[in-house]
Amino acid sequence: MENTNMSPSSPLPSIVAPTAPDSAIPARDGPMQAAAANSPSGPDTQAAAPKKLSGAELKKLKQAEKAAKRAAKKSEATPPPIQQPGEQPGKQKRQLQPQQEHGGSKSAGQASSLKISAKSTQASRRASVSAPAPAAPPSGPKKRVGLFGHLYGNARRHTIENAPKEVHPSVLALGLQMSSYEVCGSTARCVGMLQAFKSVIKSYTTPQGTSLARHLTAHHLSPQIEFLKACRPISISMGNSIRFLKDQIIKIDPSVPEPIAKRTLVAAIDTFLHERISAADTVIAQAASARILPGETILTFAKSSLVLKTLLAAHNAGTSFNVIVLDSKPLFEGRRMAKDLAAAGIPTQYMPISAASHAVAEANRIFLGAHAMMANGRLFSRVGTAIVAMHAHEHDVPVIVCCQSVKFTDRVALDSIVGNEVAPADELLGYIGGGPAREQLLKTWTETPGLQVLNILYDVTPAEYVKLVVTEYGSLPPSSVPAVLRILETAQLGM
Amino acid sequence: MPGAMNSATPDLPYFLKALKSRDVEPCIELLADLLKRRQIRTPRLCALATTHLLRRVLADFRGANADELLLRIRSVGRRLIAATPREMVVGNMVRRVLALIREVAEGAILGSDRSVSDEGLDGDSERDGDSEAEKQESRNHSPVRHRPNLSSGISTFSPLKHGATEPASMVPPKAEGELPGTYTPLPIRPSLQTALTQVSTIAPTAQQMFGLFTQPEIDDDPSGVDSPALQSVKSSGRPENFTEVPLKDIKAEVLESVREILDELESVDQEIALYALDHIHADEIILTYTASLTVQNFLLTAARKRKFTVIHVEGYPNESASTVTTIFGGRPQEFNEELELADEPFKPLTAAGITVIMIPDAAVFALMSRVNKVILATHTVLANGGLVAAAGAGNIVKAAKVHQTPVVVLSGVYKLSPIYPFDNDELIEWGDAGVVERYSDQEIVQKLKVFNPLYDYITPDLIDLYITNLGGHAPSYLYKIVMDHYDIKDVNLED
Repeated sequence: MENTNMSPSSPLPSIVAPTAPDSAIPARDGPMQAAAANSPSGPDTQAAAPKKLSGAELKKLKQAEKAAKRAAKKSEATPPPIQQPGEQPGKQKRQLQPQQEHGGSKSAGQASSLKISAKSTQASRRASVSAPAPAAPPSGPKKRVGLFGHLYGNARRHTIENAPKEVHPSVLALGLQMSSYEVCGSTARCVGMLQAFKSVIKSYTTPQGTSLARHLTAHHLSPQIEFLKACRPISISMGNSIRFLKDQIIKIDPSVPEPIAKRTLVAAIDTFLHERISAADTVIAQAASARILPGETILTFAKSSLVLKTLLAAHNAGTSFNVIVLDSKPLFEGRRMAKDLAAAGIPTQYMPISAASHAVAEANRIFLGAHAMMANGRLFSRVGTAIVAMHAHEHDVPVIVCCQSVKFTDRVALDSIVGNEVAPADELLGYIGGGPAREQLLKTWTETPGLQVLNILYDVTPAEYVKLVVTEYGSLPPSSVPAVLRILETAQLGM
Repeated sequence: MPGAMNSATPDLPYFLKALKSRDVEPCIELLADLLKRRQIRTPRLCALATTHLLRRVLADFRGANADELLLRIRSVGRRLIAATPREMVVGNMVRRVLALIREVAEGAILGSDRSVSDEGLDGDSERDGDSEAEKQESRNHSPVRHRPNLSSGISTFSPLKHGATEPASMVPPKAEGELPGTYTPLPIRPSLQTALTQVSTIAPTAQQMFGLFTQPEIDDDPSGVDSPALQSVKSSGRPENFTEVPLKDIKAEVLESVREILDELESVDQEIALYALDHIHADEIILTYTASLTVQNFLLTAARKRKFTVIHVEGYPNESASTVTTIFGGRPQEFNEELELADEPFKPLTAAGITVIMIPDAAVFALMSRVNKVILATHTVLANGGLVAAAGAGNIVKAAKVHQTPVVVLSGVYKLSPIYPFDNDELIEWGDAGVVERYSDQEIVQKLKVFNPLYDYITPDLIDLYITNLGGHAPSYLYKIVMDHYDIKDVNLED
């Protein structure tokens, strides 16, 4: 099911993903700036929304409060809100979606990318809602794998049902794109979030009696963040950029007039995106691609926008090399990667992760992307990365990790169990033809006691498997991650 | 010929039915076709089909003497092996039947020649019940005397006398070794290189040393006389050809022994399962891979007494469907009611109160740190203690090694092959790439190379323990079991 979701939507991540940030960000900027340009229309949409919903507003508020309470509690309470969509909120959905669409189209004007994404989000959401809705019950405590009990949060949000009304439409859209993996990957999610926050800030007005610096973070930004978190736990890079943004907001003098403050913030986000992601990407791609020698076979796992950029940079520089892309269930991100590489004319092989030992034996160099670099030098990345790195270590094939410093964290990790993300288990059952077969499996799964399905998204690769981490600060051994963190800290203080 | 019944896909029951109604030649042809088209797959079914066919060939054979029978079986065996060269069990069964015939024929010669014949005959044909085999073996020829300071690799091909073959035999093993006085200690051992190249059948030196074995038929090989080892064999009373053994003298006994092999094939899972409680303790977390009746039986047997957790890895793409059906329904896809002789119907582990966690193959490394024991089924076990298992097993076994988790391999003796892996790549079969990527995806089909290896070769150092129907063995000991079940003259079936 994810699979079918992914393939039609596959162009989307590449729009949103900073595959070519210089172009992607403006593309993303398009709608947002349009939104900013019609800054009157920003409040307009907000005004329009309550107007339209005025009938249902009270009810909705209550529901939102309830939802918030429920969310604060355990997730045992989640089945009810998810079961709801089947019945009563069916109307609500129809009410809400037009609103979102209107909001989107109004703010986006003619710029189409957001509109398309919003639409396809709806489409995919509908698909995903209709399928996982029956699967919701199994997320009960009995279907949770004991070892990972601490990681099960609330069930992932797949709808904008009961979303707090302060949540900006672009954040709503992004949240749904994240929960359905349309926007997937640490960098893409981070960029998407910052872009969405730009429009959040642009459409923000400070209420009477407070100052922007105090109100924006606590009262306006946090519901947006909460919504994103409910859609999918946020990545390290998102956490880092949120911290950055909050710092920026707090620094703003209360005496600064609001429009200027907002402009400053938007500019700061742009700078951040440029410095920490798009420029960093270019630097890293250049440095890493210089390590590819002619005739080599490069192995990579799943999809990393940065590795893709690196390989394309090497290809554009005239180096001829082969690529083997390994991929795994259930996200099949490598499929996109392999297609992109093949489309660029790089001879590409594609294999499942079960072929890892064969693939590594043929490879001269391994390039891996990262979700995060932990302070103890371990690599936190898509589940399966550790397997590839392990084989590489065994075969003495150098493993090179491409990672922007925005993904560095001062957290440490020893294993993949304490910190991880547990995705909905039914994603693993999705591939079997969909339809009745899948329904049957879900039913068996739900009804069989003791039958659990675990779908974790990340694993931790031991530092000794990683030979090199390429960052915008240079190429370092994994043991130097804390050093980079120090540089970052001092830079932050300097700012 | 199989097309006659194209309404149903021909499989093993179809073949067994055909075996009853058709002539021998068409049956051989049919089985070769079925094997070639992989319509009979999995080692167990291949072994059953091969043995049934060989039994029929034996029964129908109208030759004059044992040598002709050997030649006939060899030629049938070659055809079957050519049909599916990487399904080692086909060759294994052929070699076992050949060894059987030799045993029986030898017994017949000794019976007529020697005064100790009664003992010899009994020992040869009926020795070796269950786990007694190795004990008795060691009694028969003391390892100290016959295997001085040599690695197991060479010993695999040492020209010792080979034991008999029916491990499932109900006859209690003889306390007295056969012909104790006829062995003379081997004065000189062949060098390691010679022994190793011997099996590859090309080295001329090997021919000099072991000419006897590379030209196994009716032999008058003069070069062999030079070999002290050979002399010892000769002096031990092993006849080199059986032209003077009339077929009628041995046929009934051989047929009976082949029937015992069939019995063994049917009871092997139960026999292996008897050891389950020796290896699984309470509250253990056991990781297993692929859908295997042997492993299911093993775990179910343990589940009657103990509670533990099973992590079942779903190997995408080849093993995925059968794994899911095993976990959810308790039976592998190839499961065939007609062939299942177990009294109780098969049930999933969850029905026995076991918690089963299904994970995708990419998550193996992430979870390995919490796994107590890895229990694997295998495709084939090789004489050096290495094995060929479903692709992805390599990932698991390596991850287990890295985490110091013991790896236990369950395998019937019939999967144990006398082949020594010189070229690992040769052992790997590559499957349909269409299951990795659908051919309908234009972009993929045109530009990408998609690979789908079916097997991984796993070196002996990654395995901690083998459990066969004869008991538990270290990988380094397998050569001995190989020697017990096969005759060295049959390792190479080529002319």
